[in-house]
Amino acid sequence: MLIDQLDLKRAIAGDERALRRLWTQHAPHIDAVVRRLCGDAELAADISQEVWMQIFRALPSYRGDSQFGTWAHRIAVNRTLNALRKIRRIAKLEVDIEDDSALVEPDIDRTFVAESIERAMTRLSPGARAVFVLHDIEGYTHGEIGAELGITPGGSKSQLFKARAKLRKLLAHLADESTPVAGKAYVAPV
Amino acid sequence: MSHLSEDRFDHLVSAERARDAAPLNTWESIAQRAREEGLIRDHRTNVWATPWMRTAAAVLFLAGGVAVGRYTGGEPATPPATQTAENTNPLPPAASAGFNSVDEAWATLDRASTEYQAASAFLAANNNRGSTAPDSVSIYRARLAALEELMRATASARENAPRDPVINQYYLATVGAREATFQQLGAVAPASHRLKGF
Repeated sequence: MLIDQLDLKRAIAGDERALRRLWTQHAPHIDAVVRRLCGDAELAADISQEVWMQIFRALPSYRGDSQFGTWAHRIAVNRTLNALRKIRRIAKLEVDIEDDSALVEPDIDRTFVAESIERAMTRLSPGARAVFVLHDIEGYTHGEIGAELGITPGGSKSQLFKARAKLRKLLAHLADESTPVAGKAYVAPV
Repeated sequence: MSHLSEDRFDHLVSAERARDAAPLNTWESIAQRAREEGLIRDHRTNVWATPWMRTAAAVLFLAGGVAVGRYTGGEPATPPATQTAENTNPLPPAASAGFNSVDEAWATLDRASTEYQAASAFLAANNNRGSTAPDSVSIYRARLAALEELMRATASARENAPRDPVINQYYLATVGAREATFQQLGAVAPASHRLKGF
């Protein structure tokens, strides 16, 4: 999403209306990323506030080389991962995936598919969830994930494999649902 | 234990990727935090807080007032050299430092602005000195055009800083001067050229 340069100048100058426009435009996506990485709505709300403060603080450094949403998204991911590290939520990335984890309750209504996925993601370990969200949802490569999380690309691949296997099991009850897919077919980043 | 197929899973992930969510916070809570950190600033303070901007505005206000006042009184805007010495610095030296607070200075400025506008209106209605000079009409016309420009500039400034007292006072002073000039011009212009509007 392109950002108006005048709006950006106003936002940097502390104009509330300009800052609010930025937040209104991008919060739905930025906050979704934060929430997925956190796996906890209350914690995500706190971290989201930190994320937005960081985005506002960093506005003068935005050069327009990339789309504003992409730039802000990077800040959101970095800030969220840093916050999670601080509270030791992903201190141990190589967490075993328990094969006998409690299953997500079957949902009858198709409108609950999204919630099922979200809940299933909360069943992942923090590290596995971060790898899954960054790779499968946000499109990071294993190299980028390794750099972000301080693990090797191989470790990232391993975590992703386990995460996907667990999610497929947790979401087995959705096998017969025909969910419309938004956007084009999924292509995994390398 | 059954698993979701890879294809089906990829479709669900793709849908999840495209799904945005409601913001986790309200703007009010974000704004409050941003305000505490100084990331949201009052536009008035931001634009006009710098000393040079305030000084520039004050100089403009004073220069405009002097020029309009002298024109209104039928005297040249720049006094002759012989008058300069005796008229220099009519205010006591301590006047600029005589205020005890910003509020007190603003109150004085408000009072001065009000008195200036009242004086302009009075002079426009009662002072005919110099009105018979042959170039009065052209002078008033030129001044009126200049004041129109000033009004546009100050009106534009008010859009960016609607609550800035310096800008508002300057705008009001310009409006007052324009009105006074308009009346002066109406008084000296030949009957066939009287203005009903500008």
